[in-house]
Amino acid sequence: MIGSMKFSRRFVVALGGAAAIGLATGGVATAQDVIKIGAPLPLTGPLSPEGVKQQQGYDLWAEAANAKGGIKVGGKTYKVQLVYADYASNTPRAVQTAERLITEDKVNFLFSPFGSGAAKAASTVSEKYAIPTVAATASSEQVYDQGYKYLFGTFTPNQTLTEPLADLVTAKDKNVKRVAILARNDLFPLAIGQEMEKSAKSRNLEVVMFEKYAIGTMDHASAITQMRAAKPDWIFATGYINDLILIRKQMKDLGVKAPVVTMIAGPAYQEFIDASGPLAENISSAAWWHPAVRYKGEDVFGTTEAFNKAWADKYKSEPDYAQASAAAAGAVLQLAIEKAGTLDGAKVRDALAAMDAVTFYGRIKFGPTGQVTSLAPPVFQIQGGKPMVIMPAEIKQAEFKFGVN
Amino acid sequence: MIYFQVLANGLVLGGLYACIAVGFSLVWGVLNVINILHGTFIVLGSYIALFSYNLLGIHPFVSVVTAGAALYLIGHAVQSTLVNRVIAAPVLMTLTLTFGLDLLLNNLMLVAFKADYRKLVLENPLGQLEIGPVFMPLDRVAAMGLALLLTFLLYRLLRDSRIGRAIVAVRMDREAASLMGVDVSRINAVTFGLGAMMAGAAGSLLSIVYPISPLNSGMFLGKAFVICVLGGLGSVPGAIVGGLALGIIESFGAIWFGPEHAVTISFALLILILIFRPAGLIGKRGFE
Repeated sequence: MIGSMKFSRRFVVALGGAAAIGLATGGVATAQDVIKIGAPLPLTGPLSPEGVKQQQGYDLWAEAANAKGGIKVGGKTYKVQLVYADYASNTPRAVQTAERLITEDKVNFLFSPFGSGAAKAASTVSEKYAIPTVAATASSEQVYDQGYKYLFGTFTPNQTLTEPLADLVTAKDKNVKRVAILARNDLFPLAIGQEMEKSAKSRNLEVVMFEKYAIGTMDHASAITQMRAAKPDWIFATGYINDLILIRKQMKDLGVKAPVVTMIAGPAYQEFIDASGPLAENISSAAWWHPAVRYKGEDVFGTTEAFNKAWADKYKSEPDYAQASAAAAGAVLQLAIEKAGTLDGAKVRDALAAMDAVTFYGRIKFGPTGQVTSLAPPVFQIQGGKPMVIMPAEIKQAEFKFGVN
Repeated sequence: MIYFQVLANGLVLGGLYACIAVGFSLVWGVLNVINILHGTFIVLGSYIALFSYNLLGIHPFVSVVTAGAALYLIGHAVQSTLVNRVIAAPVLMTLTLTFGLDLLLNNLMLVAFKADYRKLVLENPLGQLEIGPVFMPLDRVAAMGLALLLTFLLYRLLRDSRIGRAIVAVRMDREAASLMGVDVSRINAVTFGLGAMMAGAAGSLLSIVYPISPLNSGMFLGKAFVICVLGGLGSVPGAIVGGLALGIIESFGAIWFGPEHAVTISFALLILILIFRPAGLIGKRGFE
């Protein structure tokens, strides 16, 4: 009691002093003028390339928002403060980290950890504390079908990647009949492999092989030998960048050729093209975004061109879909906060749920589960060492080419 | 027909595995040190090969020499300045030390080289050799041939040279060797250096096969562990037999049970070996 009395007396004195100085300097920023957003990321460990991409996206958004003064909430403007925490590519630790950000760092909002698995695990925590959370890199429907109200995602479901690919290939060549699928035994890569199987079967294509490989596999020769024996017209391989570089190399080593070879997710990254060299040619893929899309957004970046330029100025490279999605997660959250006019979690959550806005990233409207439904992911193909958009027609950069040797 | 290809795959993979494991096996067998740094040493060898090729145009098969020499120096220095201080302590102590050093070196590499996966893309790749229905990737075959040659040279070194005999003597009985006038701590440093040299050379050869990233070190270390237990510790023929066995088992396991079980099968086999032949397929006698 005495302690608190003492404290409050000292506090009053300090306040008086601060007011006097404040009058002279025209106001001092206090802690309340900051919106804190927590971002647990895999900044070290096997997923660190992905974690860094997300961090770059968040950083660019926060800079853009702060350069314009900050986020307007009611009559006040708040600066964005990102609170990063590394969870070393360890999913259980991602969950603990998310909880610590909420309870100790007192963040107002949260960005999900990387990928479907970790985003799903951490969503339990943000739901418990009613913290609006945006997942920038989680596409699997199993993340969003838990009945949670505070989780929103900027990737469309997995079949939105396989369906346009299957449409494109079957329309271009009726002779593509036999599909071989090789999937990493992991939440997202396996889920998208299974979606491909559905997309193929619904078009009367024959799935002649469906094999899974373990995480950390260093040799794919047996699977690829099996693949060669199955004589596929369309090879569909899923995994992360390291897996796909190795699979592509071993396909060449073992003399496997096919009219169509699709790989997800990796070819959208410049690192895949650099590492595979000439072997990347004519590999097709799909991603949730591509720098060639063109939107006029109402978000902090405005047009897609403006976003690309801001990215190139800061990072001296072209943004890929994961980087763009992270920046979009911030931009979307900003729109919702400004719309809600308050930092109240429940009201911002409602603004996110009701959102229907065009951004540099595309039109954002979340479905009933919180996953975005309003985007059509582009299909692209590596041609001449560059990812060229094949679909949708409005932004097409090249014709689809058959033959991967 | 497919089985010929699977056997060929297994042999080529096994040759690379042997090369990954032989240095690890030597250090473990002679010094009784489980060198957790081994995987990171391999990756460092790969980076030396990558930069030599991209900046100076030196073929990775030539970088084997420079990468091996560089890693020998690093290994020798690590042993004589750090590991030697705790060499007589229980195995857990040296394990913890190399584990800590590995965290340090691996994170330094993450900072210096980033975690991005890179690939050494040869301008004139060797291509493939088709023997009937069997495809042999020539770069892997050449890497395997060189790996086996290096391993053979190491074997001759251990058998025929004065220093090699001293290493073998220390392995068999440290006190007796010391009483016979062998400078044990120098031999320790040379052995650790040789282990690191084999890792550096292996890394250089593997740079044309695998994507390169500091994150791969754990995978290499895991394989080395299994191969050593399969083949028997501290023996050069043991590493070769263990490597080839693992390569063939994984390849056939993947065909029969699906690639997702390849690793499970090799570890199940490991448990069986530990139960029935705890000294490994070749056993301790292999290398004298």
